[in-house]
Parts: sequence; C-alpha cells; structure tokens
Amino acid sequence: MHRFFARFLSLFGSARAERELSREIESHLALLQEDFERRGLTPEAARIAARRAYGNIEQAKELHREERSFWRLEHLAKDLRYGCRNLLRTPGFTAVAVIALALGIGANTAIFSVVNAVLLRPLAYKDADRLVTVLHNGTGPVATANYIDWRDQSHSFEAMGAADYWSSNLANNDPSDSRPAERVLGLKVTQNLLPMLGIQPLLGRLFLPGEDNEGADHEVILSGRLWQSRFNRDPGIVGKLIVLNGEAYTVVGVMPPDFRFAPFWATKAELWAPNAFGKAIHDRGGNHLRVFARLKPGVSLEQARADMATVTARLEKQYPATNRAVMVRPLKENVVGQIQTPLLLLLGAVGFVLLIACANVAHMLLARTSDRHKEIAVRTALGAGRSRIVSQFLTESLLLAATGSALGFLLALWGTKALVAISPAYIPRVDTIGLDGRVLLFLLSTTVLTVLIFGLAPALQATSSNLSNGLKEGGRGDSDGLRRNRLRSFLVASEFALAFVLLIGAGLMIRSFSALQAVDPGFNPNSVFSMVVSVAGTKEEPAAPRTLFYRQLVQKIRALPGVASAGAINHLPLAGDMWDLNFTIEGRPKPRPGESPAAVYRIVMPGYFETMRLTLRSGRTIGDQDDARAPGVVIINERAAREYWPGENPVGKRIAFNTDKNNALVWLTIVGVTANAKQEDWALPSYPEAYLSALQNRDFLGENGSHMAYITLVVRATANPTDLVAAVKRTVWSFDRNLPVSEVFTMNRVIADATAQPRFEMLLLAGFAAIALTLAAVGIYGVMSYSVSRRTREIGIRISLGACASDVLRMVVSQGMMQALAGALAGIVSALFLARLMAKMLYGVQPADPVTFICVAVILAAAALVAMLVPARRATRIAPMLALRNE
Amino acid sequence: MPSEHGGRMPVLQGTLDLIVLRTLETMGPQHAYAIATRLQQVSEDLLQLNQGTLYPALVRLEQQRWIAGVWKRTESNREAKFYAITKAGQKALAEETRRWRRISGLVEKLLSEGA
Repeated sequence: MHRFFARFLSLFGSARAERELSREIESHLALLQEDFERRGLTPEAARIAARRAYGNIEQAKELHREERSFWRLEHLAKDLRYGCRNLLRTPGFTAVAVIALALGIGANTAIFSVVNAVLLRPLAYKDADRLVTVLHNGTGPVATANYIDWRDQSHSFEAMGAADYWSSNLANNDPSDSRPAERVLGLKVTQNLLPMLGIQPLLGRLFLPGEDNEGADHEVILSGRLWQSRFNRDPGIVGKLIVLNGEAYTVVGVMPPDFRFAPFWATKAELWAPNAFGKAIHDRGGNHLRVFARLKPGVSLEQARADMATVTARLEKQYPATNRAVMVRPLKENVVGQIQTPLLLLLGAVGFVLLIACANVAHMLLARTSDRHKEIAVRTALGAGRSRIVSQFLTESLLLAATGSALGFLLALWGTKALVAISPAYIPRVDTIGLDGRVLLFLLSTTVLTVLIFGLAPALQATSSNLSNGLKEGGRGDSDGLRRNRLRSFLVASEFALAFVLLIGAGLMIRSFSALQAVDPGFNPNSVFSMVVSVAGTKEEPAAPRTLFYRQLVQKIRALPGVASAGAINHLPLAGDMWDLNFTIEGRPKPRPGESPAAVYRIVMPGYFETMRLTLRSGRTIGDQDDARAPGVVIINERAAREYWPGENPVGKRIAFNTDKNNALVWLTIVGVTANAKQEDWALPSYPEAYLSALQNRDFLGENGSHMAYITLVVRATANPTDLVAAVKRTVWSFDRNLPVSEVFTMNRVIADATAQPRFEMLLLAGFAAIALTLAAVGIYGVMSYSVSRRTREIGIRISLGACASDVLRMVVSQGMMQALAGALAGIVSALFLARLMAKMLYGVQPADPVTFICVAVILAAAALVAMLVPARRATRIAPMLALRNE
Repeated sequence: MPSEHGGRMPVLQGTLDLIVLRTLETMGPQHAYAIATRLQQVSEDLLQLNQGTLYPALVRLEQQRWIAGVWKRTESNREAKFYAITKAGQKALAEETRRWRRISGLVEKLLSEGA
C-alpha cells in the first residue's frame, strides 16, 4: 500500500527523485574512488576502477527508475515518437479520424458550456439555492393583498419580497446631451427584496426599511449597465436627481455590472424603485406582483410548501376564489424550467455524435491493426509484452484524441460564440456562457473517455491473435479476420443505429417546426411594423392632450408617403403584455366565484384591424366614429363567441368590464367578431379576446404612470416596412422631442422571435444529425472498401470463374446492407423509446410519426447505398489475373 | 552458475532485500557503498554484485518504509545517504527470515531426498 502511493507520488516528483539519485550515485563513486586511492592507486586510476566496480551507471539509474515508479518515461517518449511517425505515414486516415473526433469533442464541449452556464452554475445571488418564488401555478403573478397576508402569516421564510413590472421614461435632463428620452424597463420592489438577494451595491446603498412607504418612495437604484451607458459611470451619481415618468427620483445606489434581477421575468430591468402599495393593499383581484422569498436556515422546501398550503387554505376560506394553486418553487427552477429538457436533449444528441465518431475511429483503427499484424507478431516474438503493445496502441489513440480535442477546443470556442449569437432571447443567462474550469474538465475527461472507447478494443484485438498466424505469409487469410470483421460490423451497425435516432430527433423537430410555420396567426404580418410610444411623464400625458395626440399621430402617419394604413393597440400580440380581464354579460345570472367570463383585454385605435388584416367574421370593425360621445363598442374573437354565446349571434349583445364613478357597469355593445389572432404563445390556441375602442376608454386615455400611458403603433407599408421607420419616428418627435420610442420591430420579426426556441432546437438537432449521417456514411464506406481490398483474391477467383459484374456488386452491397439494416432496426427501437422524451417539445406531430420514420429510413438507406457503391464498383473492376498474382 | 569452480554467483531473486535488511540491522545505519562493501566481505567476493544494482533494492525498501535514508557526513567528511532499518523493517526482517528458513529447509529436504 505504501509502495503504491509512493510510486504514484513519484510520478509527480520525478525531477526531485532524479536529483537525489544522481547525488547518491556521485557520493557512492567518490567513496569508492577514495578507497581505491587509499589502496595506492593514482586518482585517475582510482576513478576508473571505481566506475568499473560500480557497473553501468545509466543502467543502475534505469533500474532505479523502474523500481521507483509505474512507467518508464523513456517508453512513453518512444511510444509517442513511434505513434507520430505511424500516424503521419497515413495522413488520410489520420485526417479523417482527427476531424471526426474534433467534430464530436468540439460539439460536445460547446453544448456543455451552454449547459454549464445555464443549468449547472448557481444563480448569481448569495446562497441562491435558498431562494424560492411563491406564485400562482408556479409562474403566475399574485395580488397585493394576498402577498401581504402570505408575508405576515407564513413562518418558513427569512424574508418575502415582491416585485412589479415598471416601465419608465428616463428623461434627458442634461441640456448638453442631445439624446432623446428613453424607455427603460424597471421594477417596483418591496424594500426587503434587494437585501434578501445578498448582493452589495457597487455605489451607495440598498433601500432602507420604511422607504417603501407612500411619499418616501421616490428613490431609485440603477443597474451597472444603465449607469455606464446613460450616466458615463459618474462616480458622484449617488444623491443626484433623475426624472422618471416626469417625476424626480433620488439615486441612492448603483448595482455591480453583472447584477441582474429578476432572473426569469423582466430580465432586462435596469432600475429598481421602492413599491408603495397605496390603496392596492386591499386588492385581491389584480394579479401583478412576483413574490420571492428566502427560506429560513434549516427549513426545507417541503416544510415551506406545507406552511404556505396552510396559509393559503385559510385565506381561501376567508376570500373565496383567491389563493388558488399557490406554489413554492426554487428560484432556479423558474429560471431554467423551460430550457432544461431541450438542453439536456441536445447534450444527449451531441453525445451520440461523439459515440458515432468514436465508433468510426475504432473501426478505422481495427482495419489498420489487422494490416499491422505482422509487425505486432514480430515485436511479440522479440519479447514485447502484451501490456507493452497495448500501451503503444493506446499512445497512438491518445495522440489522435489529443489532436482531435485540441482542434475540438478551437471548434468549441467558435461554436460557443455562434451558439450565443443564434440563441433566442428566451435562454436565460446566455450572457454568462463561456469556457471555465468545469468546461475544460469536461473536455479533458471526454478526451480520455474517447481514447478508452475507440482505442482499447483495437489494441486488445491486435494482441489477442495467435503469434505464428501473424508471421505466416498467408496470415492475411479470411479466417483470422473473422472476429475482427464481426467487431467492425457491430461498430458500423451501431453507428447506423445512433445516426437513426439522431435523424429521427431532427426529423421530428423539422416536422414540428414546419407545422408551427403553417400556423395561421390570424393576421397578415407582411409589410407591417410596430413601435411603442410612451407618453408617461411628458406634456402629452394628461387626458385631453393625450387623446388629441393619439388621434393626430395616427392620422399624420397614415398621411406619410409609403404608408398603406396605420393603427394602434395597447399590447401587441406575441410581443407585448397580455391582460386577462373578467367581464359581465348582460342578462345572465351572476356567475359563481372563479367562473366569471374572462377575455384578453385589448384596446385599439381605429385602423388596427385594417393594418393587421385581421379577418372580420361578422359585423364591423372599430372606426373613428367610436369615440367618447358615441355608445361603447367592443369586438370579440371567434373563440369568445363560441365559448360564451354558443349557437347564438353575439353581435348586438352587451358586456361590461368595469364600472363608472357611480359604480354603474359600463356597457359595451358587441359590434363585430374577428378571426382568432395569436396572443402570447405561438403554439397555444387563442383565448377569448375582446377589443375595445381606445377613443372611448378613460383608463387608456387618462391613467397616469407607466401602466397605461403608452401605445403600440402598427403601420402597414406599401413596400419595405423598415424604410418607413425613420419617417414615423420623425413624425412622433414632431409632436414632442421628449417622447421615448422603443421596441421597433417588423411583425415578421415578432413572429420569428415567437418561434425562436423551436427553430433553435431544430437547427441544432438537424446540424448534429447531418454530422452523424456523414460520419456513418464515411464509416460504412471505410469498412466496405477495406473488406473489398481484403477479398480481392476471392473476388478475382469468382470473376475468373464467370461471375459477372452485377453478381459481384450484389454480393458486396448485400453484405454492407446487412450491417446497415441491423443498425436501422436497433435504431427504430431506440428511437421509438427516446422520441417520447421530446414529446413536450413537439407541435402537431406525434413522437412515433410514421412519415418521419419512413423518411429517415429511406435517407439512411440511400446514404449507405452511395457509400457502398464506390467500393463495390471498384470490386467489379478487379482484374482476375492481377488479383491472383497480387497475393 | 556452478560455484564450485570458484565463479561468482548471482544474487538469488528476492534475497537481496533480506540481505540488505539484515546488514542494516547488525551494523546500524550505513550508506550504499558501505552496504555493498560489507556484502562483498561477508560473501568473500562470491556474490556477483555490481554496486549499482543495490539501488533498486534500496528504493523498494524505502518505499515500503522498512528502511529510512538520511543525508549525513562520513568519517572522511564526504556526504552520503545513510540508511537505517525502521521498526516495521525489523518486523519484516524477522518474518522474512522465518520464511526464508522454511523455504530453504524445504528445498534442502527435497534436494537431499531426491538424491
């Protein structure tokens, strides 16, 4: 045991041990020489005599080394030199093997670096694993009164804080700066929320207790990025006033540049202000707070869940139809929940690619080793032990893998950058993707594992065969290759099985994506662009100027050259916010709590339906005449009509969303029904939806603050929509230079973003499958051409005995096809099983989709056939006499 | 090798460790040269031993912690590494000696019976 450790340790301290050894031998020789001198020899003669008595110094050192440590370094150096020479002698083989390994290792490292940054690394807060969210159904927002009750009645949390979405106009109050006002995403937070995260500010301080009381709430903390981009890293920023939505806020702190909050929603928040709830503390209907909490030390997640279940059950009794489905979840689960399965799936897919690459290199090595049989036999006969030969083969494999992984590393560097560039915005923490110690460790262990997978089998095979067989001239006979051939066939078959599974995965994603592409959004996105204009804090904010501004803005834009039509809406489908509001249907009995009809709440300016080309099913659209003086109107979508007026014509019926000053319901008459338009999620069917006229909506025209005080313009161009953006912006600023314009997108871009996740997954899977297919084809090509070259004599005899070209062709192809077929069968079985894992990622296609399976089988068969035809045709051209003489 | 012709005989595989341990036990701490000299004296130059071949045995024993080496000065004021037998080494020596006696007794018995 001692020896094992000592030998192991001496692998590292070998330089010291060498010095010590030399010193000892020197001292030994000196003593010997002294002795000889004492016996009367001259110093020179004594020196020679001492050397003779001592024996071969180098040999002694070598023996010492061997005794001291496991390996003879000299062997390793020799193996390395020998391996290099060997690999360079066959540059074609080496290049193919290295490229295959580089692709496999590089792709794995790139995907792993994403998995590492997104899934494995803890969130960048103190003790982030103790942070949880408390939300309806795990992700849904919470009403203020409920949050306050939870905070006060639960016992499991050190602190419970809440955040609310806050879009604010950051005015430019520096006259020397010509930049226009900017719309900045912020959060209104409870005082305890930022301290709970445990991150200290870069400058200034966090909020103090009492600062979220009404009247004391005009303070703000900036993100490091905003401080840099907007305030030139002003070191004296703390204590200064900035104007947000027309009100002055004191800057009390600046967060570090890499600080982000919140991590899974409103991720781009650049400033945080205290949230004075005001009247909202009694509100149990408006769900808009996100609740975060830190578990008390020693309290488990389960205990916290039980605690919250008790609290919410009690509250539900007190306030029926509230506090339903409240879930305590680790914060990280909310951050990575959506992306976990796809990322792990991609990691599995690249793992398959690497396995295929390994199998490929393994059977190429096998083919090589059988050609080197004689060499091995000679070396064995000369006394090389089996372990010696195995280690030599492994050195060669290690050289291949090391070169492959060095290239793969470069590929991963590039690939990671490319991944970040094409990754959709939904991937959290994408900005932290990079190479760190864990990624390098992964690279290293992948390399070692690769060597073991593809290097060991050929090495063991090479040394297991009979010695004398190898030496015989006819040692290349068919019998000795039989076992090796079986192993090679197995490798090719497994390559096909793996490629099959990958192709199925890619095929399903492609089918699913094309199904998504075929989805009708309900409107025509071509030539349309949108733009958010905010009036919060500007002179247009009060009701009277706002109404006029909205009307005139839309009219002025319509008059621009190149504009086909223009309109506006509160929240743009697929890109904007989405509010769900309950309403009352005239003449129906009062519904039970929690069952009142609800609809997505949209407020539109005239021209919206025409601009979006939203199909009208019946009735009319909203026009300029539907203003404050006219009776209230509303347009619903088909889903709402079907759901709430089944078998009836809803046009002419009346509904109400809210009450007026005298607490009387404000009735709106349904004047039209439109097709279902996509709302928030591209893959989900539309919910019931209601469009109200902006010109008759007091909230939309009069409410202060960021909630309602903005409008999303939609403009249809006669030609290219992006050509119009500058003119439309100029039109906005012709009213007021301080109006911030943001979120300028073409509708096609909005749709592309809405389908970005499946596109990303499809692109990656398809890329991996293409690599896999190529590798598998190269594999079967290699095996077939090798097998043909070994059977040259046999084929020559067959031809000379009268076999025609088609017979030879059939023989060769059928042999290869057997392997491909076996692989495909194994692939079908595994794919049927594995595809179920991706069921959640698919849209409009079953995991066992027969079309995909048939297509993949055909593609693989075609690839195999092409790969086999080249060597098979070569076989038919074998000249019998030449072949026979050759052997 | 035939020893009756006055030739030198090679050290029997595995016995060198035993001999070194025994030498160190009887003579106290010694450097490699002294050990080699002592071996040659005791065997009356019958053992064929290149002095360099002592080293593998020394490193083996040291790694087993049966002996421990320390750099010191000789009487002639030269520096050399002195090896001393450890407690564990003494235990091992006793055991190995017993084993050796048993084996050599057995071999002796077999050889004389077979004759």
